[in-house]
Order: sequence, then structure tokens, then C-alpha cells
Amino acid sequence: MSIEQWIDFAKGPLFALTSMIMVLGLLRHIVIQVYELVAGKGRRLSAAPWRKILNEGLGWAIPIKQIMKGTPFFSSVSYLFHIGVIVVPVFLADHIVLWEKTLGFSLPSLPSGWADFLTIFTVACVLVLLGFRLFGDRQRAMSRLTDYVLLLLILLPFVTGFLASHSGMNPFPWETMMLVHLLSAELLFLVIPFTKLAHIVLFVFDRLSAVHWQLRPGAGDKVADALFGKEARV
Amino acid sequence: MDAKQIAIGSSTRLPAVEKTPFYHIEKPVTENRGDHFLRAFAAVLEFTDYKALLDSYCTSSAKCNRCAVSCPVFMVSGDPRDIPCYRTNILLDIYKRYFTIGGAIKARLSNGFELTEEVIDDMLEVFYRCTACRRCTQSCPMGVDHGLVTRLGRYILSLIGIVPKALQVSVREQLEGETHNTSKVPKDALLDTLGFLSEELEDMVGVKMEFPVDKSNRDYVFFCAVSDYLMEPDTLMGNAAVLYAAGDWDKWTIGTTNYDGINYGLFYSDWHLENIVKQLLAEVTRLRGKNILIGECGHASRSAHDFVPVFGGPSAQPVVSFIEYTLRCLKEGRIKLDPNIITERVTYHDPCNIARSGWIVDQPREILKSFVPDYVEMTPKGQDNYCCGGGGGLVSIDEIHDYRMRIGGKVKAEQLEKTKADIVVAPCANCKKQLKELVEYYKLPCRVMGLHDLILRAIEIPGGKSPAERKEEAALLEM
Ligand code: SF4
Repeated sequence: MSIEQWIDFAKGPLFALTSMIMVLGLLRHIVIQVYELVAGKGRRLSAAPWRKILNEGLGWAIPIKQIMKGTPFFSSVSYLFHIGVIVVPVFLADHIVLWEKTLGFSLPSLPSGWADFLTIFTVACVLVLLGFRLFGDRQRAMSRLTDYVLLLLILLPFVTGFLASHSGMNPFPWETMMLVHLLSAELLFLVIPFTKLAHIVLFVFDRLSAVHWQLRPGAGDKVADALFGKEARV
Repeated sequence: MDAKQIAIGSSTRLPAVEKTPFYHIEKPVTENRGDHFLRAFAAVLEFTDYKALLDSYCTSSAKCNRCAVSCPVFMVSGDPRDIPCYRTNILLDIYKRYFTIGGAIKARLSNGFELTEEVIDDMLEVFYRCTACRRCTQSCPMGVDHGLVTRLGRYILSLIGIVPKALQVSVREQLEGETHNTSKVPKDALLDTLGFLSEELEDMVGVKMEFPVDKSNRDYVFFCAVSDYLMEPDTLMGNAAVLYAAGDWDKWTIGTTNYDGINYGLFYSDWHLENIVKQLLAEVTRLRGKNILIGECGHASRSAHDFVPVFGGPSAQPVVSFIEYTLRCLKEGRIKLDPNIITERVTYHDPCNIARSGWIVDQPREILKSFVPDYVEMTPKGQDNYCCGGGGGLVSIDEIHDYRMRIGGKVKAEQLEKTKADIVVAPCANCKKQLKELVEYYKLPCRVMGLHDLILRAIEIPGGKSPAERKEEAALLEM
């Protein structure tokens, strides 16, 4: 196959396949969570403080207060990074064409100057976050290989996409760059449901601890019965 | 106090505390703790419904580390094991490795995580260095509830016999002992104490108040942390004074079968939590009481308020905290507090269990501001308040006193010092004990009191001596 054919393949069937895996993988998380909540908690769901949960959750949409507390620089970078990482891939003019072709609907696109700025900005954010992981004592203590790899994996489609659309800065043939761009993005699609990146849907369920404090009546007894039989257990 | 002594910053990093024993265990298991732990974990997963949350957490925990800077323990210790997310991830790693398919595959492919004896040792310690104050949860963008995970970790550990002896001995007495309370106060001693409180009150305010015991069909059945009967007479007399002044003296009672509001199950075990709640409910039902009135205590209030409906069902009696009750009386004009009595500077410490994990932040402030002219706030306060360092049952474990002073409570001590308050009001049996120890340890010029201790001084008692008279008498006595 010629490289053009590869690009077409990556844009067509491969794109459809990987995005489907991503969507199904994320759906799986949602289905499991909803099932466990409904089956496990049942009627106790209605006793949970939903309003409080909602208010607290929405409070994080524009988390100025939260950012100012504790780690303002890291948190602002992280927040802006999340904006970039959502806005750029979805609203880029070139991508909109792709959405139209595969999904059948169109979206307003980013003006190209903005797109460039946001891309560079997001890349810069990733680098800062990487820096925090590498050089911050606390973060390094917590981080494992995947935490670094995922950041790099996010970086890749941004950098390659930018270079592919700016021929003046691109030291490589456009086709190569484009192919790497497509494949790296698709790799990311595959990885999302199986790694911590799944928080793009699970963050909703993470916030439900107040629901989980509605313990199951009688469960403690059953656990104790299973482990010790009926004798004294204090 | 020497400010440097408790200055906080990276330069004051302390070495990790002496590792074992972090606390006394009654009958420590020595063999195959890992296997036992996994068996217990499996049983918990089977019968409870923590699984969904663990699934979500273990996939999505982003390890951003924002929690670290919010934790008063990590702030002082600087020990990475005290980073909330780090500790939470120990349990999540075990869950992932042994209870998810992905984890099992990963372990096959690489030298993944293994539950070794060292991991058990680690958990044994770190789950009891955390006070389960849940401050970090507020700073987590994902809302990961490290307090809940700590509690779950402790629960599973408790199922393999790893529990601080101090907690275990108390709940055993509470559930299976003759006295049915954590401090082993027998009924006779309770009655003696009530008699003594009654005499003291008569001396103080000039009115005889006979404590109502085992009365049926009352509006309120009263439960305080039973230790209050031994250690906090002023709080109890303050409670009594409010009930009397509000004209509710014949509307409440203390039961003699069960009079302990403490529920250590909130700190470490679903089984204990449920059974202690049920025991409390049984007493209220026996007396056909209409409401459960909980004295000044953070965890007692939360465990009743949150878990009576869970374990008692929708028809269970409503839970009222004494602070709410007093505020209502004040607002209805049924009690009067003399604003000229308290001349000291007063500050308020929010017990985590009723402020951050509860519903009581403004109520005590409203009461205090109504009669304390020199009231100051700590920063941060309310739901953002720092734990005293004795939360999650830690205060009851004497052998970690040193840890609670040097690490767990250091941030609080510094915060307290900054207010320059003469009195810190802490409406919680646990906070009071920890704060008193902190004040002594750091030599702070501050007194720790309950909310109702202060109210007792300023409340006007119908037909009794006025607060001003009482103040004069008290001053004479002190001379
Ligand atoms: S619950 Fe409190 S003590 Fe425990 S890790 Fe979080 S902030 Fe620290």
C-alpha cells in the first residue's frame, strides 16, 4: 500500500474502529456503574444528598476557589490543559470535516489563529504537567510509568497535527506526519477506556461517595458470618 | 509559645514515626496476613456495595496530588505515605490486582503489584495516621473520598484482627459488656453522677433540677459521648440548663439501659456501626421516645444523624443535635443568654464530622455571636477547617499520643495560636480531648471548652441566680 492509501485507511476504517472501541469501552464503564448503583443501592439511592453532590460537582466547572487553595499554578495549568484537550480536537476546522464524513453532523469550527494558539498552549501545558511529575517531590513519589507515558501519548497527536498543518515548520514529509498524527490519535482512543483517562466519564461516578456512605443494612452481619460463622466478633 | 517550635514548612520534615507497633493490637495475627486480608476483602466485596466505587476510583484516580497540600498530616510529616492519594492507592492496587481481570492479566505479564507482608504493615500504620477528616476530598477534582477508603481499609484490617486495642476493647464493652457503653460506666455510677450534677447545678444556679431517668414517651431521649459523664460535667450541666430554661425539663429523659452516643463503628467497621446504631434505637424504642437528642459530639452526631435512617429505616426517630436544639430555643426566645458575662476572646473549632461531613457550621456561630462580644474565627474555618488531629478514633489511642501531638495536631495548634483566643469552643468529646492535650503539649495560653460550658455561664435560669451573680460567686471561689 502506498502511504496515501495508508492515510485513507487510518482516516476511514481504522478511525471508525478505534473510536468505536473507545465509545463502547467508555459506555461499558457507565453501564457497570449505573447497574451497580441501581442494583446495589436500590431504594437507598433516593436518600442520598443529591443536591449537595450536584452543587459540589458543578462547583468544579469554574473552580476558581479550588484552584487558589493549595496549588494555584499547577491547578490552573491543569485546568487550562483540560480545556485545550477538549476544545482543540473537537472544534478544529480539519476535524470538523472528518466529523461530517464519519458521523454525519457538523460543528462550528475554531478560527485558525485560535486553533494554533490553543494547540501550542495545550502542548505547553502538557510539558509543564510533565515537569511537575518529573521534578515535583510529591508527584514523583506517586507517579508510575503509565502516568508519564499517557502524557506523552497525549502530546503526540497535538505536536504531529500542528506540524502537519504548518508545512513551513515540518521537517518531515507531510504524509508521514499525517499518518503518525492519525495513528497516535487512534492509539489514544484505544487507550482511553482502559487507563486513568477513563475519568472523562468516570469523574461523574467518582463524585458519588455520598451515595456510597449509604451503607447496605445487614451487610456487616453477612461479612462477619461468612468469615467467622456466628460466634462473637468484637 | 515559641513560634518556631510549631512553624510548618518543608524544613521541618520529621522522620517517620517509630514503625511498629504503631498501636497495640489485642491478638496480632502473624501468619499469612496477606491471604487473610484477601479473604476478608472478598467477603466485603460480596456483601457490601463498595465495589462500584472501587471500580471507578481504581480506573480513574489521576494522581494529581492536589490532595497532598490539603492534608494536615502530610503538611507536617512530609512523608509520601501520608499523601491521601498514595494511601488510597494501596487499597486500590490490591483491588485492581486481585479483584479485576485487567489487574490479574497485568500481573501475569509483568512483575506487577503483590500483597506482601510489608504492604500489610504499611496499611496497618498509614490507615491510622489518617484522621479520616475528609479535608482532602474537598480538594480532589475527582471527589475521591479518601476518608471513605481509609475507613474501608481499616474495616478489612479489622476483619483480620488488626484493630487498635483501645477501640476494640471499648466497642466490645459497648456491644457485649454489662454496661453497654464504651467507658464501662455502670448504671449506678451514672445515677450517682446525675445526682452529683444536680447538686452542683443547685449550688451554682439556685434551682433544683432532678435529672429525668427512664421516663417514657418523652420528646427527647438524650445520648452523649458517655465519657462526658466522667470528664465534661460543665457541658452536661450546660445541656441541662438549656433544657430547664427552655421549659422542656419534663420533655426529655436519659435511658439507663443504653446512654452512650459513641459509635466507633463510624471509624472502622460497618458491622459495629450498624449494631451500635441499632442498640441506640432499641433504647429509644423501649422508652417510646420521639426524638434522639445527641449531646456535644461530632462523630456521635454524625453516626446517629446519617446512619439511624440507613439502618433504622424511614420510620426511625429523627436525630437532633444539641446544638440545633439550643439554637432553636434561642431563636424562639425560650432561652436568654447574657451578653455581658463572657469577657474572654473566644474562637470556635469545627469538628470535622459535623462541619465538613455534616450539617453544622453556622448554628454554633449564631449562638456564640449572640452572647460572646469578642468572638474570632480561625482560618480556615467551617467545612474547610483543619482536623484537631484526633479524628477517626485516633484520640482514643493513647500509645500514639506522641504522633498526635507532633504530627497530627501540629497544624491545628498553630492555627489556634494565631487566633490569640483565651477560649476555644469545641463541641465534640474527641476534639476536646485532643485539643486539651495539644494546648498542654504546645503550652498554648488557651482553654478548651464545650459550647454548652460557655452557655452554662451566661444562661438566665428562671427562678435562679442571675448570670452576673453566678459570675461573682465563681470569681470569689477562685480567689
Ligand atoms: S482524611 Fe484528613 S487526615 Fe486523612 S488524608 Fe485526608 S486530609 Fe489527611
